Amino acid sequence: MNDHSHPHDDHEHPHPEMPVDAGSQALSEALRSSFAIVRFVMFLLIVVFLASGFFQVKPNERAMILRFGKPRGEGEKALLGPGLHWSFPYPIDEVERISVTGVQKVESTVGWYATTKEMELAGTEPPAGPTLNPALDGYTLTADANIIHVRATLSYHVVDPVRFQFGFVAASNVVQNALNNAIVFASANFKVDDILTKDKVGFKNAIEKRTTELLERDNVGVAVDQCDVTTTWPRQQNVKNAFIAVFNAQILRDQALQQASSYTNQILTAAEATSNSIVNLAESRRVQYVNDISSRATNFLTILPWYKTNANLFVQQRFNETMGSVLTNLQEKIYVPDRLDGKSRELRLLLNREPPKPSTANTNQ
Amino acid sequence: MKRNSLIVIVGALLVIIFAFWLCAFQVRTTEVAVVTTFGKVTRTKDKPGLFGKLPPPFERVYKFDKRIQSSEFENKFREDLTADSNPLLTSVYIGWSITEPGVFLQKFPAGIPAVEQQLATLLSSSKSAVVGKHPLSDFVSANAGGSKFSAIEDEILASVRAQLKQNNYGIEVEFLGFKKIGLPEDTTQKVFDRMTSERQVLISRAQNEGEAQARIIRSDADLRASKVLSAAQGEALRIQGQGEAEASKYLGAFQQNPELASFLFRLDALRDSLKENTTLIFDQQTGPFTLFKGDLMTNSPSK
Repeated sequence: MNDHSHPHDDHEHPHPEMPVDAGSQALSEALRSSFAIVRFVMFLLIVVFLASGFFQVKPNERAMILRFGKPRGEGEKALLGPGLHWSFPYPIDEVERISVTGVQKVESTVGWYATTKEMELAGTEPPAGPTLNPALDGYTLTADANIIHVRATLSYHVVDPVRFQFGFVAASNVVQNALNNAIVFASANFKVDDILTKDKVGFKNAIEKRTTELLERDNVGVAVDQCDVTTTWPRQQNVKNAFIAVFNAQILRDQALQQASSYTNQILTAAEATSNSIVNLAESRRVQYVNDISSRATNFLTILPWYKTNANLFVQQRFNETMGSVLTNLQEKIYVPDRLDGKSRELRLLLNREPPKPSTANTNQ
Repeated sequence: MKRNSLIVIVGALLVIIFAFWLCAFQVRTTEVAVVTTFGKVTRTKDKPGLFGKLPPPFERVYKFDKRIQSSEFENKFREDLTADSNPLLTSVYIGWSITEPGVFLQKFPAGIPAVEQQLATLLSSSKSAVVGKHPLSDFVSANAGGSKFSAIEDEILASVRAQLKQNNYGIEVEFLGFKKIGLPEDTTQKVFDRMTSERQVLISRAQNEGEAQARIIRSDADLRASKVLSAAQGEALRIQGQGEAEASKYLGAFQQNPELASFLFRLDALRDSLKENTTLIFDQQTGPFTLFKGDLMTNSPSK
């Protein structure tokens, strides 16, 4: 109560009271200064309170301010981009951060046998038993009722952060389950050999397609980037060996077919070449033959007048000239004169005196 | 004066905050709220914002997450019999959400665990019923149409939804799908045996196919090659014939003196036949060797 009257009195009669009560004056001073401190502290608190409303949004996230729980703005406009922003502190406003550009991953192992990354890397996976325990070992059933192991990793990014964040309690679980379902679904529609060897890409695409469809159907607000699928035949030794044996037999079959196909190429190429040479040879023989006859005819007409002049002399000349040139080229000439007694002579000849040379292949051996 | 007003302001502020705390509540964008008056549901708030209420014990507020919950309670494989009496293990996942918070509060005062328990029971019976209606080939099928996988999922979903609607739990299942499909442990052994014997068939098929197809390919190649060659030989004959036809127009020249022509042709034949590596045995009757018997002026080419 003194506080109330004191400044008034102080104002009305400052001078007479001043020296009277130095103690109350000191008290008054102290109170005044402590109120100044309180004021300052309150001011400071308000500043701190307001300043605590500043927040930063990182490049790979968006933020949304919920004022009394309600988003400020509609749809895309409600999203704050990277940078510094301000909101009223809680409980008036609440900042909800949403990761967007970061690629997120989920892995599905519902179709994979019991193992861990460490065991896989170290090669210390437990050996497979004769059966699969449904509580431990994952696997899928193929369209032709075979058992195989499939696992997949799905990369995705958020395209509708509002839906992703505010539509689901755990949206990544929904993505995970969509991938699980896609693996089971795709397996049930593909035969074992298609999954493992013949149509790996088709199988992978089927998983990706099914996952995308489910995520779109449930409007999860994500887009699928990539889906990596690993498949393997069962690890049970006899089954595994049988699969490997088929695989090898198919490789051998493909090799045989490849060899047959290269034989085809080879033999057809050779036949083409031979046929070309047969035709070319025939063509050149034709030309040669026609030219030969033509030149003989020309020659014949040239020498005919000379022959008509003295046929006998012409014949003698031509015959002897021919014999001369023929005898020059002969390897052996054997002259057998008539016996004086007019009887016939006996001549013995050893033919084929030069045996054929042995082939080079034989000499090499 | 200043000090008093400050106290008043601070006091008023505290009173406002306290009153605010007692008489107002926020509903987040992810929530729905139910207001009860003396324990009876009087209002539900499914839009976000700031709302007023009477202080306790007059009114109480219950808030629930209205987002889609993806429960993992169905992790365990459950065995059911298919229509063709094959045991089949299935596990499904679902997404559900609270649609009527007032009803939900009354039916499930214990909250989400109670819902999941209820859903698990519902789902289990729906699944058994639907699986029992389909043969195994509806689940896995290599036929052109593929498996009826999605249709079966839809059937289970429809059945669960119908039961939820009938019992009016205030919740709705948004989606449902198979998470795993498997076989009982002892059946896997039989499947492995069958797979192994199927592989044996494939091995022998691959071997036989390889040999047979390779043989077909080779003989086809041989056939094609011989066709090419015989076509070429035919063409060569045609060319030869063409050559002879062309040559025949020159034969007229030789008609002028067939005797001389014949002589010249024989000379050419003699020259062509007696080339290298030839041994010729001749007597004195053959020209020009008639010279050896002293017959210097005559010759007899005809002998």
